[in-house]
Amino acid sequence: MSGNTSAAAANSGPSLLSDLEIRRIDWSRLRVLGVLISPLLLLVAWTLVVRAHWFTEQILVPPSAVLEAFAEVWDSGELPDGLKISLYRLVIGFALGSVGGVALGTLLATSRQAQIYIGPTFNALRQVPTLALTPMFILLFGIGETLKVVIILKSTLFPVAIATLEAVRNIPRQYLEVGRAFRLRPWMQFRRIIFPASIPPILTGVRIALGRSWMVLVAVELLAADTGIGQMMEIGRQMLRIDIVMVGVIITGLIGFSLDRGLRLLEWAMLPWKRR
Amino acid sequence: MGDAALEAALMRTVVRVLQSLRGWILPALLLGLWEYTSHRDAAHAYAFVPLEQVLAALSERLSDGDLLHNLEGSLLRASLGLLSGVVFGIGVGALMATSTIALTLINPIYQSIRQVPLLGLTPLLGLWMGNGETAKVFIIALASFYPMVLNTYEGLRNVDTRYREVGYVYGFRRFQLFRRVLLPASLPSLFTGLQQAVPMAWIAAVGGELLFNVGAGLGNLMMQAETGARMDVIIVCTASITVLGIAMSYLASLLSAHALRWRQ
Repeated sequence: MSGNTSAAAANSGPSLLSDLEIRRIDWSRLRVLGVLISPLLLLVAWTLVVRAHWFTEQILVPPSAVLEAFAEVWDSGELPDGLKISLYRLVIGFALGSVGGVALGTLLATSRQAQIYIGPTFNALRQVPTLALTPMFILLFGIGETLKVVIILKSTLFPVAIATLEAVRNIPRQYLEVGRAFRLRPWMQFRRIIFPASIPPILTGVRIALGRSWMVLVAVELLAADTGIGQMMEIGRQMLRIDIVMVGVIITGLIGFSLDRGLRLLEWAMLPWKRR
Repeated sequence: MGDAALEAALMRTVVRVLQSLRGWILPALLLGLWEYTSHRDAAHAYAFVPLEQVLAALSERLSDGDLLHNLEGSLLRASLGLLSGVVFGIGVGALMATSTIALTLINPIYQSIRQVPLLGLTPLLGLWMGNGETAKVFIIALASFYPMVLNTYEGLRNVDTRYREVGYVYGFRRFQLFRRVLLPASLPSLFTGLQQAVPMAWIAAVGGELLFNVGAGLGNLMMQAETGARMDVIIVCTASITVLGIAMSYLASLLSAHALRWRQ
């Protein structure tokens, strides 16, 4: 985006606009530097504290040791394999939960009968925290793949269903009336009116659900798993390998961040009319 | 004539009662299915415990004080964590909103730590603080800290400039400006933060208890029950956690409504 505008400014030759443009970029560069101050300070403090031997090796290792641990678990295949299986679980559970959530939400929003018969049960079940269901699900499904998929399914289904329900309900009546005035068939009414009008809030709900599901998955893997990134961290903790635990913390954070950014990007790409 | 009218009124009442029962059909069906499965054979009764056994477990755990003891443990811990998280969150959020230096220094670290899934921090905290109370309270505090920082910051930042100007006209000092103008104006946002923080703190409390299996708490009781394959006790715990969660959120919304009653 900014590359385009600065190129356009350069093409238009020297003008007041391009001058402003340069100043704006300089300012933003300074801001980027400002953002780096505190992480760098933290890194320096971390190194100094390690040098001073205030803590034992089980409590604090130097930043370089974390990098070495990263190389170690990456080369041994522990990290890539764990990541692969964790992300696989997330994708399956999340896909099932999203599709189910959109279907359930649409049903509840459009059918009075569904609202009457399913609504109360739906509203009761969505109050149950996913993590509080984990011990029950362990007894029902064991600690295998089914457990993780069911748990992610649960933590995705309800937020997506609620977002869909509200999105479809809040479509302005006028939009639907325009569709009727144009005598759109049901499919075209959905395709041209209901879908575009309800997709932005649904995508927001999906993004929140994805973040929560990732948190829940990591927790469940810490609790009961023989594979996955959470299990790698749990083993690290049991062996007092703080370096491996820190690698896990950083990687799970990076993944959480990328998942969120990925969906924001999707929102941006799918909703051209929402761009500023 | 009178009889017919009476009969019609009676019919309408019956229909209305029956209609209000429609929402109960699905839960009743599910419970019936559960009960049927539990009575099929011993293998099924292992996971699908009969409902009467769940009720028996509830009354047993209530009468020997086990449930209340663990419930108290969880609630105390959650309140302590919530309180410290809210206080620190408001402090840090206010600092970030009022000082550019604080914003530049704190925001990058706040934003990056926030990306780590909350309970993913438990192995690290376990190594740093041990598996005891400190780590558990810290996780709860952190869970409530995040939304409080964000909402305090937003609330103070979005105070209408005209309100500030009124403060300047009155010649308010820094503290007076905060007390008389900024605080009341950002109160709605603070309470939004609180309403987000309460369920987060409760989930963190339960998750922390599941992961750090020491001390009294509903999560600990659940984990013991899971090891002993006591589905009845687990169901009692899950139900208690859900009900308490709803009650706490309701309490938080009542508190907000009361504190913001001047808004109408």
